Amino acid sequence: MKRNGRLPVAVLGAGLIGVDLAEKIMRSEVLDCVMVVGRDENTPGLRQAADLGLPVGTRGVASLLDAPGPIAMVFDATNAMAHAEHAERLRGAGVKLVDLTPSKVGRMAVPSVNGTEVLHCDDINMISCGGQASIPILHALTQAHRVEYVEVVTTAASPSVGRSTRLNLDEYVETTQDAVRDFTGVKDVKAILNISPARPPATFRVAMSVLGEGFGTASVTAAVSAAADRVRSFVPGYRITACVVEESKVFVAAEVTSTGGRIPRYAGNLDIINSAAVHIAEQCAAVAPARTGTETS
Amino acid sequence: MSAATTPDGPGKRVLLYDASLRDGHHAVRHQLDGGQLRAYASAADAAGVPMVEVGHGNGLGASSLQVGQARLGDDEMLSIVREALRDSRMAVFMLPGWGTTADLERAIAHQVDVVRIGTHCTEGDLAERHLGFLREQGVEAQAVLLMSHMATPERLARECARLVEFGANAVGIMDSSGHYLPADVTERVAAMREAVDVPVMFHAHNNLGMAVANSVAAVEAGADILDACARGFGAGAGNTQLEVLVPVLERMGFATGIDLYGLLDAADLAERELMPAPPTIDSVSVVSGLAGVFSGFKNRVLDIARREDVDPRDVFFELGRRQAVAGQEDLIVEVALGLKAARGA
Repeated sequence: MKRNGRLPVAVLGAGLIGVDLAEKIMRSEVLDCVMVVGRDENTPGLRQAADLGLPVGTRGVASLLDAPGPIAMVFDATNAMAHAEHAERLRGAGVKLVDLTPSKVGRMAVPSVNGTEVLHCDDINMISCGGQASIPILHALTQAHRVEYVEVVTTAASPSVGRSTRLNLDEYVETTQDAVRDFTGVKDVKAILNISPARPPATFRVAMSVLGEGFGTASVTAAVSAAADRVRSFVPGYRITACVVEESKVFVAAEVTSTGGRIPRYAGNLDIINSAAVHIAEQCAAVAPARTGTETS
Repeated sequence: MSAATTPDGPGKRVLLYDASLRDGHHAVRHQLDGGQLRAYASAADAAGVPMVEVGHGNGLGASSLQVGQARLGDDEMLSIVREALRDSRMAVFMLPGWGTTADLERAIAHQVDVVRIGTHCTEGDLAERHLGFLREQGVEAQAVLLMSHMATPERLARECARLVEFGANAVGIMDSSGHYLPADVTERVAAMREAVDVPVMFHAHNNLGMAVANSVAAVEAGADILDACARGFGAGAGNTQLEVLVPVLERMGFATGIDLYGLLDAADLAERELMPAPPTIDSVSVVSGLAGVFSGFKNRVLDIARREDVDPRDVFFELGRRQAVAGQEDLIVEVALGLKAARGA
């Protein structure tokens, strides 16, 4: 279903996440953003999308189902409560989903950890910003060490946290915890989210505390730095700001700045989940059949 | 013996909310055991304290390395205190992003009477979903704004009005850093009083020695609910001292319904059983209050400053400069490492 060699995709939800996603997709060489859908054309998000020259819709999923051209993939940037219904209606129409809400409905994906294993799934869940920022590090640490407890504390700047996220704090906490458990095999996991009101806004950060046995500075530092390098290949603003190793405890903090887009530098929470979603979508596009390409061009 | 009342009889009723078994947890690294909870809850109940709050210092679901792991789980704490209270109502605290609706459901199963949802003072909409849930469940919900010195009176009033729309049965502010002087409190409580028709609450910390004076200012400006703790047992320099505040209010002509001797007995028991020593305004507490940093950071700052060999006062001022809010304990390590690096450079 490729057009001009690019896979036609759409963004559902025109909040902070949706608009940045649309912009990132426009920079992609393998994805073609054919529509951004919100609920009201007067919202800042849809106006920004229109200003970018993108077709916009205002009737939610219905706008996508009635779209004039084919849509192979939809990024769901609405909210966790709405995703199950979106998935049902769109999958029925043969559309693949990349879900940016903490809905727990689809297969959870972290590009640098299981990116290549999820490409065939028709609903791929991007977990949460905190999940994307922490799981690569936690996965690396638990591969190399025996770990009993993991804690992830995420801090996002207030202006970078939109209404859907504010209503989805429970889902954020539960989905992040579930994902950390899944990816690390550690049962005892706690996730916490702080919203910082500081001015100028604080850079997005995630602090990870890990309890276990036999941590050594050399092995921990090597594992953390290799994992961070893998994330940095598609999130250039990802960096480790602290790594304190004790025999039975490790503390790692990472910060993410947003680079290259119109969203502010501090909003690394938007940048990391959107970059991860686009990265996965691009890999899906690379393996997607081009059989319908001639029909639509 | 009943506390003294004015010659005209009991005046306006002020509701005392006893946070000893929640905020006090900050002072003892969240290590109260079942016997301690039971003993104090029974004593407060016998004194006629209307509301007794229990839990980890940061509320339901907050036991963690970030702020300290509690000795007892939430379920255990709630079931012990529930059993100990005959007349007093049991209250819990929760910060969205730390606890979830699942924690509220468990608290409701323990027959909690009052649930407080806290958010940073400018982020009241984080409480929308949980206040809505409590309204659906028919549980009394109070909404409190933390670190309230970081917002203007007008902003606090607007946040409170919105919290009432979300379903709060009472709203108010915490002076989480112990930063206010009485005039600051008067201005803020008056603005909130003007903005809402529900009861207004105030929660003080004593970093600058103002906790009782600020509570008096709050009630004179129209506050209906005041938080206080036995011997001031709470984070940092401690909270308003309950057994001082109650007779002060009674002398002013307010009615609390609390028995003076019972209250003093409960406070004596608290000093004997709950704390190694009553909270005092030590030097770092003064700095913490001046810097406007969350009182609950104190023990963690002292631990990390000692480990990294930096001055805890510098750590507090830097945290204040970074506008750290409640829950951001992970910043302490970075601030301490930064100070250490700057010194080495």
